[in-house]
Amino acid sequence: MTDELVTIEVDGRELKAKPGTMLIDVTDAAGINIPRFCYHKKLSVSANCRMCLVEVEKVPKPLPACCTPVNEGMKVSTRSPMALGAQKGTMEFLLINHPLDCPICDQGGECELQDVAVGYGSDVSRYSEAKRVVPQRDIGPLIATDFTRCIHCTRCVRFGAEIAGVRELGATGRGEHMTIGTFVEKSVDSEMSGNVIDLCPVGSLTAKPSRYKARAWELTQHDSVAPHDSVGSNIHVHTRNNRVVRVHPKENESINEIWLSDRDRFSYEGLNSEDRLTQPMVRKNGEWQEVEWQEALEFAVKGLQSAAGSDGDQLATLVSANSTLEELYLAQKLTRGMDSGNIDHRLRQSDFRLDGNDSPVPGLGITIQGIESLDAALLVGSNVRKEQPIIAHRLRKAAKSGAKVSFINPLWIDLHFEADQFVSTPAVMVDNLASIAKAASAKLTGNLAKLVKAAEVSETAKSVAEQLKSANNGVIMLGNQAAAHPDYSLLVVLASAIAEATNTSLSYIPALSNSVGAALAGALPHRGPAASLVEKCGANAQMMQSKPRKAYLLMGAEPGFDFWDPSLINSALDQAECVVALTAYHSESLASCADVMLPIAGFAETSGTLVNAEGTWQSFNGLVKPQGDARPAWKVLRVLGNLLDIDGFDQNSSDDVLEELKSHAAETAIDNSVSTKTAGELNSSTEGLYRIGDVPMYASDALVRRASSLQRTNSAEPAAVRLSANQAKSSDVEEEETLVVVQDGNRAQLPLIIDPRVPDGAVWISSALPGTEKLGGQFGVVTLEKA
Amino acid sequence: MTVFKNYIKSLFLLELLKGLRLTGRYFFAKKFTVQYPEERAPMSPRFRGLHAQRRYDNGEERCIACKLCEATCPALAITIDVEAREDGSRRTSRYDIDLFKCIFCGFCQESCPVDAIVETRVYEYAFEKRGENIMTKDKLLAVGDEHESQISADIAAQAKYR
Repeated sequence: MTDELVTIEVDGRELKAKPGTMLIDVTDAAGINIPRFCYHKKLSVSANCRMCLVEVEKVPKPLPACCTPVNEGMKVSTRSPMALGAQKGTMEFLLINHPLDCPICDQGGECELQDVAVGYGSDVSRYSEAKRVVPQRDIGPLIATDFTRCIHCTRCVRFGAEIAGVRELGATGRGEHMTIGTFVEKSVDSEMSGNVIDLCPVGSLTAKPSRYKARAWELTQHDSVAPHDSVGSNIHVHTRNNRVVRVHPKENESINEIWLSDRDRFSYEGLNSEDRLTQPMVRKNGEWQEVEWQEALEFAVKGLQSAAGSDGDQLATLVSANSTLEELYLAQKLTRGMDSGNIDHRLRQSDFRLDGNDSPVPGLGITIQGIESLDAALLVGSNVRKEQPIIAHRLRKAAKSGAKVSFINPLWIDLHFEADQFVSTPAVMVDNLASIAKAASAKLTGNLAKLVKAAEVSETAKSVAEQLKSANNGVIMLGNQAAAHPDYSLLVVLASAIAEATNTSLSYIPALSNSVGAALAGALPHRGPAASLVEKCGANAQMMQSKPRKAYLLMGAEPGFDFWDPSLINSALDQAECVVALTAYHSESLASCADVMLPIAGFAETSGTLVNAEGTWQSFNGLVKPQGDARPAWKVLRVLGNLLDIDGFDQNSSDDVLEELKSHAAETAIDNSVSTKTAGELNSSTEGLYRIGDVPMYASDALVRRASSLQRTNSAEPAAVRLSANQAKSSDVEEEETLVVVQDGNRAQLPLIIDPRVPDGAVWISSALPGTEKLGGQFGVVTLEKA
Repeated sequence: MTVFKNYIKSLFLLELLKGLRLTGRYFFAKKFTVQYPEERAPMSPRFRGLHAQRRYDNGEERCIACKLCEATCPALAITIDVEAREDGSRRTSRYDIDLFKCIFCGFCQESCPVDAIVETRVYEYAFEKRGENIMTKDKLLAVGDEHESQISADIAAQAKYR
C-alpha cells in the first residue's frame, strides 16, 4: 500500500486517511461517532450487527462503516435521513428480542445497547409478539451468562478464536435461533476468559464474582497496577463503600493493551477473605493473643534485639517479591541497619551458585510490546501461558506472524500457538540446552565446556540453534521453572553463552509483580540498592534456611506455600527464637511458627510502586482503607526501624521512600549480563523418580490463594501425583490410587493421576497447594509408596 | 367634604357593619372545618404519605433491587444492599428509608420499574425513639400488606396519566 493519503468527506468535514482503512477507524480517529456493536478495534471485522450503516454518495444502499474501505473523494454522511433511518431500523430489530430487564442486569448503566438505544431507539415498541428466551448455561465460576440478552455481535467468539487462542465460545443455529455457548457442555477455562465480560456490549456475559454487588453508577474508579505477574497490567479498581467491588483493565498499549488475565481480574476477592489478619497478634506462653500495635511492636523489637542485637548475622529477612518497591527498600535497609546482610526475595530459587556473577537486574531486556516483533524465541523452563498470560499473548502474536518459538521444559504445556517443545526430566533439560549450545558453538569454560563437549547434537538442537542464529531479533528466555531448577546457574550460563553465540539476547521472565523491583531495591544478600555488589555478602534464601538463624523477619510470605522447600523453612522457623511476620493473612502455616504477626495492608490498600518485567516503574495510591487495624507495610517497617534505633527511618510517606530509592536506582536499567562462562556441577540427577514442582497459576501468592471464585475454576486443581502411563506401569501404580509421596523424609498422601504431559522418570507434584505444604523442594528425588 | 363623610361613617358605625357582614356570611355559610380525627379531609390518589413496599398476588416481593430509587432520591434517604437469593433472583438484603431525610417528593415511586416502592395515603405516624425513623424492608412490606387494596386502587386510578 502506498503512503499517500486519500481525502474523504464525512458530514461535510474533510478527512485524510490511508487508502484501504475502514471508514469507522477514520471517523473514530476524527471523533465522529458512529454507533456499533460488533466492531471492536482489537478484533477482526465481522459486520454482522449492521448498526454502523452510513450513507455514501452514489451508493444506492447504506453501507456498514466497519467494513467499507475509504476511497478518494468518498462523501459520507452519518446523520442523513437515509443513514439515520437505517440505524433506527437496525436498533428496532435488535430490541425485538432483547429483554426489558435492565433493572436487574449488571450491565445496566454501562451498557452499549442502552447508550445507543437512547440515541437511536424509538420510545415505543411496535413489537407485541412473544420474545425469544434462551435457556441458562453455566460456563464456570467466573462468567455469569444470560444469553437471552445476547444481540449476536460475536465479539466473544472472535475473542476466543483470535486473542485467547482457544475457541471456547461459539455461535450455533441461524437467525432467531442463533445462540452463543460452549460447544460441549463445559466451562470456559482460558486464563484470559474474563475479557469477554468487557467485550460483551450487553449484559449477556457479566462477572460472576461481582454479580449484583453494585450498579455502575455507584462505583468509584481508581487507577492501579495488577499485583501478580511481572507484566504489571494497568487496571481500574472499582470501589464502593470502602470495598473493592471489581477490577477492570485500563488501556495501555505498551503493557497489557486492553486485556487482563483472570488472575489479575478476580484476585481482589482475596482481600475480603475471612483469613484477613485485622489485629496485631503475639504468641504468649504458646497462646495467640490479639494486642494493640504498641505492644506488638515492642514485643517484636525486643525479640529481634535479644536474638540478633549482638550478632547481626543471626537476623534473616525473607520477603515476597510481590511487596512494593518501598517495602522492599525499607526491609533491606532495616536488615542492613541491624548489621546483617541476610535478605533475599528469591524464595523459590534453590541454586544460588551464580551469585556475584549473576545478572545484576534480571528482566525481559526487551519491551513487552517488543515481544511481538521477535523472529525466534527459545524459552527454558517456562509455562508462560499460565505464569504470565499477557507475555504469552504477545508471544502468540509473534508466533502468528512467523516467529519460531521453542520450549525446553520439564513438562508438556498447553499452548495456544505453534511451538516446538522439548520435554525431559530436569537433569536432561540441562543436556538439551548444552546440546543447543554445542550446535551453536557457544564458548564456555570449565565444567560447562566439558558438559557441552559431551553433549550429543540432535537434529532438533541443530534446528533451534539455526533458528536463533538466523533471527534478526531472537531471544532466549528463562522462565519460572528454570529459576526453581536445581541447576539454575548452569541453565543461565548456558543460555547466556548461546545468546552470545547466536547474537540473540538473554531474557528472564520474572515471576512476581516486583521481582525486578526487588533487585533495584537491594533485597538481595549480595547486592544493595541499584544492584551494586556489597562488601559484606549475606546469606541467601537457601543458606538462611539450611543454617537456621535466631531471628527471622518475614514479609508477605507464607512458609508452607511461598518457599522452594516448605519443610526446610518450617524446620528453620521452628528452631528460631523470634519470628516476626508482616502478613495480610492469618494463615495456619504462619501461626504454627511465628511469634508476632503484624497485619499489613493488602493490594489496593497501600500506596507503592511496582517495577514490571521490562523495567517500567508504576506507582499507585492506596484506594481503600486497610481492613481492621492493618497498616501499610512500609509504615510498619518505618516504625520498626525507629524502635530499633536505626538511622534513616524518618520518611513521612511512601513517596519519601521512593524518592530516597530513586536517588540510588533511578538510572539503573535491566541488566541481563552474566559475567562467567562456567558453573558448578550438575545437581539434578536422572537416578530415581524426580519431582517436578511447578507453581499452579492460582496458587502463586497469598492473595490469589484466597480468591474464592478463582479457586473454584478448573485451572485450580487440587494437589495430586501425576505420572505418565509408562512410568505408572513401571512403578506399578494405578490411576486414582492414593499414594504416599516420600521426599527427604517428609510424607504426603495424594491421589494419582495419569498425565501424558509428564516425561518418564519424573513425577509432577505441584507446590504451593494444600497437601504439598509439608513436602520438600520443588525439584528432587521422591519415592512413591502405596497407602 | 371628606371630614363630613368620615363623620357620618363613624357615627353610624358603617365600617363595623361592613366587617360584621363578612362575619355573618361565614356564620351562616356551610362550614369546612373538619373535626379531625373524627372527620377526615378528602385525599387525592396522588397523595404522597408514608412509604410502602408491595408484593405480587402470589406473595412474592416486587422489589428487584435495581437501585433506581436510591439513585434518584434527592435527599439520599434510601440505602439498599443487594444479594442474590438462593433461587438466584436479585433481591434486596437491606432496604432502608430514613424518614428524617425524606422530603416526600415521590421520585422513588416514579422511578420504580415494578411499582414496588409507593407512597401511601398514610400520614399519621410518630416516632418515640431514635431509630424508628428508619423504615426497614420489613416495616415497608408490612405497610404495603396492610394498605394493598388502597394502593392498587390509587395506581389504577393514575394509570392513564402515566
